[in-house]
Amino acid sequence: MNEMVKMVVVLTVLSAAAGGVLAAVNKGTASQIKDQQLRFVKGPAIETILAGSSINPIENRFEIKEGDAEKSIFVGKFDGKANTIAFEEFGKGFGGDIGVMVGVNMDTDKLVGTAVTVHSETPGMGARAKDDPSFVSQFKGLPVANPVSVTKDGGQITAISGATITSRAVCAAVDKAMQAYQKMKPELQQEIKKVGK
Amino acid sequence: MPKTLVQEFTKGLWQELPPFRLVLGLCPTLGVTTSMENGLGMGIATTFVLFGSNILISMLRSVIPSKVRIACFIIIIASFVTIVELLMQAYTYPLYLKLGVFIPLIVVNCILLGRAEAFACKNNVSSSMADGLGIGIGYTLALGSLGAIRELLGHGSVTVWGHLSYNLMSAFPSYHPFTFMVQAPGAFICLGLMLCLINAIGD
Amino acid sequence: MGYFELIIACVFVNNILLAQFLGNCPFLGTSKKMETAVGMGMAVIFVLVMAGTITWVVYAYILVKFGLVYLRTIAFIVIIASLVQFVEMFLKKSIPALYAGLGIFLPLITTNCAVMGVCVLNIDKEFTFLQALVASTFYAVGFGLALVLFAGLRERILLARVPKPLQDTSIALITAGMISLAFFAFQGMV
Repeated sequence: MNEMVKMVVVLTVLSAAAGGVLAAVNKGTASQIKDQQLRFVKGPAIETILAGSSINPIENRFEIKEGDAEKSIFVGKFDGKANTIAFEEFGKGFGGDIGVMVGVNMDTDKLVGTAVTVHSETPGMGARAKDDPSFVSQFKGLPVANPVSVTKDGGQITAISGATITSRAVCAAVDKAMQAYQKMKPELQQEIKKVGK
Repeated sequence: MPKTLVQEFTKGLWQELPPFRLVLGLCPTLGVTTSMENGLGMGIATTFVLFGSNILISMLRSVIPSKVRIACFIIIIASFVTIVELLMQAYTYPLYLKLGVFIPLIVVNCILLGRAEAFACKNNVSSSMADGLGIGIGYTLALGSLGAIRELLGHGSVTVWGHLSYNLMSAFPSYHPFTFMVQAPGAFICLGLMLCLINAIGD
Repeated sequence: MGYFELIIACVFVNNILLAQFLGNCPFLGTSKKMETAVGMGMAVIFVLVMAGTITWVVYAYILVKFGLVYLRTIAFIVIIASLVQFVEMFLKKSIPALYAGLGIFLPLITTNCAVMGVCVLNIDKEFTFLQALVASTFYAVGFGLALVLFAGLRERILLARVPKPLQDTSIALITAGMISLAFFAFQGMV
């Protein structure tokens, strides 16, 4: 009986200690991990959209609540003015969700660029949305007030040949981003002032 | 006669070199050695876990009841693995992505449980420390050399953390890299031949 | 991805042993005789189906819900270890015939990376419950298939004259490389 008690006590103490240590390490590394994930997963897309920014968009990010989810907003500074933001939206593609980083100039309310962050589309077909810059460059300069869609649906974006579903998904993600932007704009203007300083 | 600390340390480098001599811990040996960098990274992560768990287990060896010792070992090892997982995510994210599923799998690496059961729970802290470090470094060297050979033959060049690099094609211009070596079948065959070489060199 | 493609992918294209390198210790250790290979294959199928689904449920409904995702590794290994223990006790009491066949392989499964590996892969690939169930079952079937094929070859090697330094594990690994090469042909099928 005595041995039984010892076994239970040792196991419980050990598990509790392990749990405690891990919780502490997890808490200590959480922000650093988030930073790394942003840098390596979303970093390349952010860099292409906000190329030439005088501040680092990943370090100068802030969070905004939109519905239940929290959105990370990345800020770029051009000619001494922090007026350009980028954030991510998702569309349903052929092989799953496609993440699209969308950049908006807040002074002109126009898109400055888009780039695909994550996707699981077919290589050589839908994957060209990420690899072929001529597709995403079509979004550049479009005003956020007008919805976008592919030419087949009566819109202004030429779809990637053989990958209409992917092209539609990217358009849908950009559309979602533009609507979210218009909804968030007052809040964005508040937050961006802090970054400008 | 008890061995000295130096002997405990050096036995891991040759006599009990884990993947070749004891034929333990083969999954990561085959899975991550597509490049020297991955092999070394995996080896260092495993060394950290082995070093930590060996010390802790030998410290607690009088407290742990023998009936549940395996369960205790597993909890200790798994905790160290999780710490490594979190630290790697925080500081070496690209390497973490490349090693992928093999990082959590350190926990089922037979070397760890093997050392805990065969050594750490019977010896004092300092010799367990030397044992863990020796076996760990031996493992790292084995993974690194296997990775180097496969990368060299498969890609024609070896690069480690962007600094140290060597290009086989510059020395032998007619060499054609064959990607077979960095793919799955090459792993088995390369390890098999290395094992053969080590057997041939003998004791 | 449809379930048919998933099955083909798990058994052949991404064969757990030959393409993903998981579970190689029992692969080399228990493949010297056909009998033990079949026993080990069955034991892995038996445990993996249960472990794969249970860990999925625990991850989705306990770890994610309470924000304890970082405890994944420790939770999974504890689940697998206790599951193996439980299965062993259950079989011994209620189905002694099966226990006689699988018994000695069960403790080995705790440190079989194939089991832990598939549980982690199910989560990393963001499978649904049904996909996780199918994947766990057919990854295990692929494991059994490769193990039995390999054991057949190894029984033949025993009769061959192998140079001394190549004997035992060395020639076994090279043979495994050949089977892996054959499985390589499945690449690109899905």
